[in-house]
Amino acid sequence: MGARVTTGRTLLAAVMGFGVALSAQAAEYPDIGPLPQLKIDKAKAELGKRLFFDKRLSGDAAVSCATCHVPEKGYASEEALSPGYPGNGHFRNASSLVNVAHRKVWNWDGRIGTNLNDMTREMLTEDYTMNMDMRIMQERVKQDPLYVKMFKDAGYGEPSNGSVRKAIPEYLKTLTSANAPFDTGKMSASAKRGMKLFKGKAGCIQCHNGPMMTDQKAHNTGVPENFDVFMDPMNHQAFIAFTMFQGIPNYMNLKRDPGYFNVTLLNEDMGKFLTPSLREVKYSAPYMHNGMIKTLAGVVDFYNQGGGKDSNKSKLLKPLKLSGKEKKDLVAFLEALSGDKLTSDKHVWKQPYPSEYEAIANWTEVRN
Amino acid sequence: MHLKKITLSLVAAAVATVFAGCQATAAKHEGAAAPTKMASAQMAMTPSGPPPLAPLGDAPIPPDNKLTPAKVELGKLLFFDPRVGGDASTGCSTCHEPEQGWAWAEDFSRGYPGTVHWRNSQSIINSAYFPRQFWAGSASSNEKQAKSAAKGGVAGNGEDDIMEARLALIPEYRKRFKEVFGTEWPIIDDVWHAIAAFERTMNTTGEHEVPLDKYLKGDKGALSEEQVRGMALFNGKAGCINCHNGELTSDTDYHNIGVPPNKRWEEDGLAQITFRFEQYAKGQTEEGYRNAKSDWGFYYRSKNKWDKGKFRTAPLRYIAYTAPYMHNGVFYTLEEVVDFYNRGGFDEEGRTTLFPETKSSLIKPLGLSDQEKEDLVAFLEAFSGPEIEMEKPEQPPYAPLFTMADLKAAQEAK
Repeated sequence: MGARVTTGRTLLAAVMGFGVALSAQAAEYPDIGPLPQLKIDKAKAELGKRLFFDKRLSGDAAVSCATCHVPEKGYASEEALSPGYPGNGHFRNASSLVNVAHRKVWNWDGRIGTNLNDMTREMLTEDYTMNMDMRIMQERVKQDPLYVKMFKDAGYGEPSNGSVRKAIPEYLKTLTSANAPFDTGKMSASAKRGMKLFKGKAGCIQCHNGPMMTDQKAHNTGVPENFDVFMDPMNHQAFIAFTMFQGIPNYMNLKRDPGYFNVTLLNEDMGKFLTPSLREVKYSAPYMHNGMIKTLAGVVDFYNQGGGKDSNKSKLLKPLKLSGKEKKDLVAFLEALSGDKLTSDKHVWKQPYPSEYEAIANWTEVRN
Repeated sequence: MHLKKITLSLVAAAVATVFAGCQATAAKHEGAAAPTKMASAQMAMTPSGPPPLAPLGDAPIPPDNKLTPAKVELGKLLFFDPRVGGDASTGCSTCHEPEQGWAWAEDFSRGYPGTVHWRNSQSIINSAYFPRQFWAGSASSNEKQAKSAAKGGVAGNGEDDIMEARLALIPEYRKRFKEVFGTEWPIIDDVWHAIAAFERTMNTTGEHEVPLDKYLKGDKGALSEEQVRGMALFNGKAGCINCHNGELTSDTDYHNIGVPPNKRWEEDGLAQITFRFEQYAKGQTEEGYRNAKSDWGFYYRSKNKWDKGKFRTAPLRYIAYTAPYMHNGVFYTLEEVVDFYNRGGFDEEGRTTLFPETKSSLIKPLGLSDQEKEDLVAFLEAFSGPEIEMEKPEQPPYAPLFTMADLKAAQEAK
């Protein structure tokens, strides 16, 4: 099944002249709907699963991918700001990884637009996330007999850092929404009313559209800064390291997250962040790029007041004048976008990892 | 210039070879194998042999990194600060621990968390005198050594941006970097300059002068009779002076003396990981990566097969505090070291280098008696004076760069 994409550009003229937020028509945007199926290589995904939860994939072997992308929390960070690598903090909330394989662009600021292989490399090697020298990673993996077997069984041959970066994305393809009431057609009456608001009066669909419920574009919604980024030197150091490395001008004096500005260096893109997917949002609180909103009701309130304060804020955002009941219906719909928790051993590697590396026997006799 | 140096080292090797009673043909190997820079101090040779041991003078200070008390003090703070590293746990002093001879008292240096190193941590004491740092001389100054160690995957594993960011959030460092280097924010390159400046003050001079240097300056009471006998062996029958010579007690050149591979590589999975990683990190061919079973040493720099298994002649001052010995720490006592040389470069199990073809022809069984071995060890002890102790400075704390008022004003201005 392919994504249902209805651009309906001919309708565009018809809706012009109305207040955009109030007159948003579902037909104007790629419709929301079920996700297309992904073809998954089981052996590669199983290997990727073991790698995803393995702390030995970080420099000091203290954190794994799952440290920030917590299964119980929709594979997002449970704290407003991700923990980051030991010795520093972080400056953003880790996004949910459920359905991440359906994206075309990654990171809150959209700085990676190629593939999950590159995204995996970025997370493994950045000093404030996992700080892994991939040459050491490869040799650690080669030192684990189970990995050696799994790489072979998966058709990768000898473990290499290149195949680690292929296996993890293969696993990520298995993190797909399952049995969300929205997909099964078992939504409550309240959620159904909420969907109507979503597509109409509340105007959510203007950005949250398509099967992923995101246009995968950057917008400024005026989310207030999370001052913990700057007041906690552990987080601030990660922010400085990031902005320094990315080449953001005047990074020492920055008191806000530049967002998509990082990609274009255009002032008009300051404070824009990629529209997040809304699938599995029930689990992935807190919300927004910096975790500033704790609940879905809070998110609805935020948009109901027309978003936050920013001179660069999107013109799409206007006060919505939703009633209390409408807000509840909208939250019910948002909750209906979440399915089963992906926390069983189908998705989570639950077997223990060896506490130390086994020595290769006859080391002097065998080839490295 | 290069030619001249090579010629000189050929002469040096030839003279040394004759002195050691070896065949002249061996000189070819030694000389051809060592086309490396020698410190100018080493050039002043006596016509009859290698430069004699000489008292340690003042450490050379490079013109682009002059010593000032403020810079040295800043360098000391940074040397002891683990935030100059990857996860803020592993700084210079982590592997160069003052109480372990400003080195690390295990065969392999402890390495970054989750790793182990693959070579013995060398003492920083007197490192300032050496034209190149590390066992294979891969860094050309203390500054470059500090940088490489702080960033290496099995050492500090730090990256420039996060280390610089941390220092910027420590008010004490902002103040001191501004005073010393005149910059608004700490610059990572200046970190290496400050650390190197501190290291250049960490020498066995002045109150830490070693008995040998006192003796060489004329204090004949500084050595015991036993040590004086040991010195004669050092300069004569044992032939140590061939490489451990001059002011630095090292020719600063690279030799394969027959040290066997460390057995940990056969028994320890973590060490096996690092071993293979280092083949990549140091530069190795695919075939070399597959087949290497010991540290190829100077080969990684020169890529000449005749340099396999060669390491820089270690200086001998302060060695009473820096056990274990050799590039891979296989010997824990000076007695073991003397026994190893006395056997002609074999350990007590008869193990030796995996590269016999590059082994120095100077290394031959010495035929030392037990008494001679004792005398030699006694003399080696004369290379160490009082222990160099230092109280570790307190780490200056982080503080937020902005106030809440700054942040609220910026939020309002958005």
